Amino acid sequence: MRRLSIGFIPLTDAAVLIACAERGFAFAEGLEIELHREVSWANIRDKVNVGLLDGAHMLAPLAIASSLGLGHVRVPLVAPFALNLNGNAVTLANELYAAMGETGEDLATGEGTARALGTVVRERQATGAEPLTFSTVYPFSTHAYMLRHLLASGGLDPDRDVRLVVVPPPYTAESLRSGLIHGFCVGSPWNSVAVEAGVGRIALLGSEIFGWAPEKVLGVHARFANAEPEVLHRLVRALDAAARWCETSEALDELARLLAEPRHLGLPVDMLRRALQGRLNTTNGGAPRSDAAFLVMHRDGANRPEPAHALWIYAQMVRAGQTEFTRDAAHAAMEVYRPGLYDAAAGNVGRLPQDIDPVRTRFGVPFTPDDVEGYLERVRGK
Amino acid sequence: MTADPSLKIVIVDESPLRAAILEDGLREAGYVHVLRLSEWHNLLARLHAIDPDIIIIDLEDPSRDVIEQMFQVSREVKRPVAMFVDQSDSATTEAAIEAGVSAYIVDGLKKERVKPIVDMTISRFRAFARLKEELEQTRTQLEERKTVDRAKGILMRLKGLDEEKAYALLRRTAMNEKKRIVDIAQSVITAAEMLK
Repeated sequence: MRRLSIGFIPLTDAAVLIACAERGFAFAEGLEIELHREVSWANIRDKVNVGLLDGAHMLAPLAIASSLGLGHVRVPLVAPFALNLNGNAVTLANELYAAMGETGEDLATGEGTARALGTVVRERQATGAEPLTFSTVYPFSTHAYMLRHLLASGGLDPDRDVRLVVVPPPYTAESLRSGLIHGFCVGSPWNSVAVEAGVGRIALLGSEIFGWAPEKVLGVHARFANAEPEVLHRLVRALDAAARWCETSEALDELARLLAEPRHLGLPVDMLRRALQGRLNTTNGGAPRSDAAFLVMHRDGANRPEPAHALWIYAQMVRAGQTEFTRDAAHAAMEVYRPGLYDAAAGNVGRLPQDIDPVRTRFGVPFTPDDVEGYLERVRGK
Repeated sequence: MTADPSLKIVIVDESPLRAAILEDGLREAGYVHVLRLSEWHNLLARLHAIDPDIIIIDLEDPSRDVIEQMFQVSREVKRPVAMFVDQSDSATTEAAIEAGVSAYIVDGLKKERVKPIVDMTISRFRAFARLKEELEQTRTQLEERKTVDRAKGILMRLKGLDEEKAYALLRRTAMNEKKRIVDIAQSVITAAEMLK
């Protein structure tokens, strides 16, 4: 029995990892997974780096930023398994949402929401009001790129017209209540926590911005992947079996209860069950917003780390001004994702339906993996 | 190694006791600009205003991610990097992480100037952990003494023993049963509760 230490952050999308460790999937592959709950993404990265953790639940952009040496010392990481697609939501302060409603835009659509946000921000600028502040979870995160895409689609410059800050998810509801921020994009169930506290409402589900946004991956040190390919192979197989189970309807109640345990997320079972089903209450006591694609844990080939997704992440980093575009770096980013390791372990079970836009951009400038430079020019409005 | 008084050091720690231990240590070592932030509220703006050369933070503080954002937004000015992930010194790195300290420095600061600070921080974090452990032990010992005292009282009342004899009875029983005195005392209390 090989013991592995795996880190996670208390979020619904740690489900596959937690199920793998706790429901016999790892055991079936001769592995014993010891889960470590961590408090920050920086901790996750650094503990994987020094070998205190063998692998971790990791923001996909963090795995790539770390491998490219962006914002930090370079640590080569490998992503052989995608834990999920989607799972985030955008929550806005009640007053902001009310102001957006007065613009006459259709807030039931992503495009309408983006335009309304643009109008409200420009109105505030005209009156000399303080810029709106929005938070995400980490500089290199899908959350940040989603929010930036939403703002850009509303005709705004995310670096000039608003303030983007990082607020750790457990602090989001309080920050919204105290007026430090006016909205945020985080993973579940933290949006629901803010909604139930009555301090904001869910404006958009992440899946309404991008249909197949890469979200968390299993990140391991390249050193581990090279030294123990056979152990990694078994881990990926175990995760794939766990992911398959997680998405069955029979698993729902048990999975929600497992996640709710204090050592995992320590949050209400009902809230977690709704997040797993993709039914989120947008307001306290209001009607739920529902999307079966809110959190995709297995179907449609969600677990195969698609290099096109890594390329999208890299393009978003360039778009956000976090790095300059080079072809070498784009190539290096794609190499962090290892579909070969996944295929070898899980069998060629599933791939994303082939689409021209691998993240299925719902509105705004679509992503074109064949022409990243052209895409970057379009999003920069050149 | 003498302290460089020009270095501006910020300690981010929710534990006031640990922060105080660190602060004192740094001051004793000759560092003059030592500031403590105990709250995550508006951390980024406050760090920007202070513009520290070195940030020391507890590894179990979620605000680490907030601090990493500072590296992003301030990169045109100065680009800080996490010091303890300096690959050239993996021993310090591991020692820091295991002790629970995370130290960030501004890029370009010479390692020789930073290392004594980080080393001191690590040893102080460890001292704090020991202190907490000792406190925990003392607390347990106090609890145990209370339990034994209660059991003694029960024995004195029920069997008409004096204090010394009551204690001797507890000790003898513990020896015979190969158990700790406190466990025997606990069972006396439990039995007395049941027979009430």
